[in-house]
Amino acid sequence: MENRGRYIYGVAARARTASLGPIGIEGKEVYTIPHGGLCAIVHSCPSEPYQSGDEETVKKWVRTHQVVLDEAQRELGTVIPMGFDTILHSSDDAVSPDQVVRGWLKEDYKRLQDIVEKIKGRDEYGVQIFYAPRLLAKQISDESQEIRKLREEMASKSPGTAYLYKQKVERAVKAEIERLAGEWFRDFYRRIKGHCDDIVIEKTKKADRNRVMLLSLSCLVAREKVNNLGEELEKINNTEGFSVHFSGPWPPYSFVAKLVAPAKEEVK
Amino acid sequence: MNPTRDTHATLVDLLDRVLDKGLVLDADLIIHVAGIPLLGVKLRAALAGMETMLKYGIWQDWDEAQRATATKEYRQKKAAALKGEVTSLCR
Repeated sequence: MENRGRYIYGVAARARTASLGPIGIEGKEVYTIPHGGLCAIVHSCPSEPYQSGDEETVKKWVRTHQVVLDEAQRELGTVIPMGFDTILHSSDDAVSPDQVVRGWLKEDYKRLQDIVEKIKGRDEYGVQIFYAPRLLAKQISDESQEIRKLREEMASKSPGTAYLYKQKVERAVKAEIERLAGEWFRDFYRRIKGHCDDIVIEKTKKADRNRVMLLSLSCLVAREKVNNLGEELEKINNTEGFSVHFSGPWPPYSFVAKLVAPAKEEVK
Repeated sequence: MNPTRDTHATLVDLLDRVLDKGLVLDADLIIHVAGIPLLGVKLRAALAGMETMLKYGIWQDWDEAQRATATKEYRQKKAAALKGEVTSLCR
């Protein structure tokens, strides 16, 4: 039986009927379905989502999703990336799944064009900045008057009392780092934002024992500005106690869903 | 500094994006589940929570069952979030 579903990788801002070869998930043949000045990048599949309990399988699918988008961008230029497992299908035998996809492009044409305008000539980058509390602790205790004073007092105390002082100093350093983290965040955010056309603050995650993630951003950056962003990040990365993770270029995954505002409002 | 896309070091960046972001179709038909796919979290859970867009008809049984589960999970997450246990809902 003919597959009634179409897995959609993305939508390219180009009217072209093309085959991208058997590069899809599980070796599926990827092709385009054009409408107007756009085309959807799809493969034919049954009307059910890809699901698996096996991590490796899922990772492989996800990587393939990305590989197809990379290839599509090379071949077709600006591509709006879809999330994983976006499948359109036809429940009506009289309507082919390709027609359903065309119908969707037609229906959402304006919205898709708006997204294309927003992302054209831009890529997404992931930026995460970490600090190393242990490396910063010394500097902080030298700079804080309160902590310096505690340490001076500690020097003249008996071992037992000195121990209590040591704990006090540690607490004070921790509190000072927490206070400073807010300042660092604002400073770095401001410096990075200057090089981005749009920016999303992501949730920070637990890092490892020696470092704390201070901020996590998704940045929409014009191609000609990427070097500037890189230079700014380099400065931060070279600052004692800080390190930067800079990933990309990604398709602008974080900047294409924003226009679907009504549903998001409802959720929040 | 130059951005990297080395598949090993940036796998989390990739998973976060492909599983949790990207354009979604018709807002009314999105199945909202708070599936936050991180490495270390079982991907099965992540997958169960993924948004699967089924538009233009059928698949009613599966769809409705998923929505019911999704709604239930979403409410639980939301309740947890309100109590400060979970800091982020879906998107």
